[in-house]
Amino acid sequence: MSDKKRGLSKAREIYLNRSQRARELKAAGKRIMGYPCAYVPLEMITALDLVPYRTCGDMKEPVTEADRALPSSFCPIMRTCLDCALKGKNDFLDGMVTIHSCDPQEKTARVWESYTDYPYFHFIDMPVTVRPEALEYFEGQLNDFKKTLEAFSGKKLSTGTLEAAIESHNRQRTLVRELYELTKPSPPLVSGTEIVQVVKALMSLPVAEGNELLADIMSEVQSRTDGPERKAARLLTWGSTLDNTDIMQVFEAKANVVMDESCGGIRAYRAEVRRSPDPIEGLADYYLNEITCARSFRQAILGETRKRYARDLQSRFGYLKGIIKEWNINGAIMLLVRYCDPFAFEMPSLKDYFDGLGIPNTYIEYDYTAGALAPLRTRVEAFLETIS
Amino acid sequence: MTKVALIDKSSNLISTVKGPTGPEHRQLANEVMRQALEKVSLQIDDISCIVATGYGRVNVPFADRQITELSCHARGVSSIFPNVRTAIDIGGQDAKCMKIDNGRLISFVMNDKCAAGTGRFLEVTAATLGVKLEDMGDISLKATKRIQISNLCTIFAQQEVVALLSRGERLEDIVAGLHNALASRIAALAQRLGIEPDLVLTGGGAKNTGMVRAVKESLGRELLVPEEPLLTGALGAAILAGETYMKAVAASGAFSAKPRRLEKATFFGREHR
Repeated sequence: MSDKKRGLSKAREIYLNRSQRARELKAAGKRIMGYPCAYVPLEMITALDLVPYRTCGDMKEPVTEADRALPSSFCPIMRTCLDCALKGKNDFLDGMVTIHSCDPQEKTARVWESYTDYPYFHFIDMPVTVRPEALEYFEGQLNDFKKTLEAFSGKKLSTGTLEAAIESHNRQRTLVRELYELTKPSPPLVSGTEIVQVVKALMSLPVAEGNELLADIMSEVQSRTDGPERKAARLLTWGSTLDNTDIMQVFEAKANVVMDESCGGIRAYRAEVRRSPDPIEGLADYYLNEITCARSFRQAILGETRKRYARDLQSRFGYLKGIIKEWNINGAIMLLVRYCDPFAFEMPSLKDYFDGLGIPNTYIEYDYTAGALAPLRTRVEAFLETIS
Repeated sequence: MTKVALIDKSSNLISTVKGPTGPEHRQLANEVMRQALEKVSLQIDDISCIVATGYGRVNVPFADRQITELSCHARGVSSIFPNVRTAIDIGGQDAKCMKIDNGRLISFVMNDKCAAGTGRFLEVTAATLGVKLEDMGDISLKATKRIQISNLCTIFAQQEVVALLSRGERLEDIVAGLHNALASRIAALAQRLGIEPDLVLTGGGAKNTGMVRAVKESLGRELLVPEEPLLTGALGAAILAGETYMKAVAASGAFSAKPRRLEKATFFGREHR
């Protein structure tokens, strides 16, 4: 890692060569824990002095190996993740923590285990509803995870170390939110493309190093004179994962993406783990309740039996209203990765919600391959033409 | 396919070119432009503003603007049918539905991933049947029996067509079935957007009388078809070029066009071969 690179250019460098730091740490004796989804409680990994590392795919890498393990009409994100793993790109991992966030994640968990040789695997079950009984069950699951992780690490997970880890990860969340404050001006001080690189970098570094990087980036961006150009359209992108700058570049050729509600953007950082006498309880509450991924089944009123569409929309998507106002967003793109059922089923309702707010919106489906970029460009440009 | 449309101040078509695209887009752009100009004895500097559209729009170096084919079709179709609210373009390799209001694109859906909802479906199955693509429409109109093509995929539909032939089904009935299959895909696409009259069908698919019948039947609605369905995209682009020019002149007295050079793009030029 070049000592000269700091801030945004360091994030760019890490984005282009994600595993370098993890490999260095491994060589220095640290153990690296892979995770494929934002729902895995990273604080528990950090607290036991293990390094969390998000396993990602590569949109430009043709999927060749995953076909022997996964069906083809299947989440392209998980396919490319597994494909990269089978090609040895995550060889430095000491283990994988998987979680029942959605079906592809659950089903691929066993495949990861069969097809790789990491010394540690743990699958965390997670309920699909967000209610007290579900929370209690999920806490139990996190306590099970704690036991196996302690056994693997050879250390006890004390309340003190867990609280310190929570503070560190919360600090990261605060810093990312502060970074997004800098997309509020017109033009934004930092581009959606740069943020994709930053978030990817954060998912490749230990939390403390990520926080240092973010602190650098904040001071760089606040005083920069070479920020993005002002474009008429200020967009919100909404989808499952957006972790590739080529996709962002398609939007940002003619627009400013000021908010990215995805796993490559703000989703894992928008809220905080609250302090709790039992930190595991605080973690369970944060991960189950606060992450707004389409995988969860949310009800405005628990056990609701009557149809109240408007209230249902408000409870599922209400968090977007304030964002649209504060970031002065004038267009929303609902981006769907082909075969993603949870997000696909949210789209019509979300469209109704956006229409209710009077925000021009469009729905684009793509298959997360390099060939998807040209059709994506046509649709994005046509949408921008309708709102210009 | 590549098309060029030159219009005058009153948006009348004065010169048009249509031809296969092939692999060398930049060279082709120069070539078709030259042909269009020759037809009306004009020089490229005589053109006030040029808009490029379609998949190859980034490969037209002398274009002043690039606008997506969705907005261009919306404009072009509106200039012919002012009350259009929904337009369906059936192209060789994609299909699009557009919601239009006062000549402006409001919303759209596209299929450019699956051949089964595009002209390619008829090209491929025509080849399997040994029939010329341009004859498929007329043949379909002679059907007397309803045949359902069950396969969603173009490739599997080919196999199904061979099986139907060997079963002794009539060519006319099979061809009508193919048109109905294509029309049902188009209808599914259009219905995602919601259809409001007037409804216009354009693109190569609209030149096929069999397709016009099949889509009309599938949607259960009246269809308007332009005289030159292949040109509505280029026509719309030309009209938008005119508007771009007039707007600039109204705002600042002049429009600064891109350098108008029609030299051969030497990267692909024969000199380098």
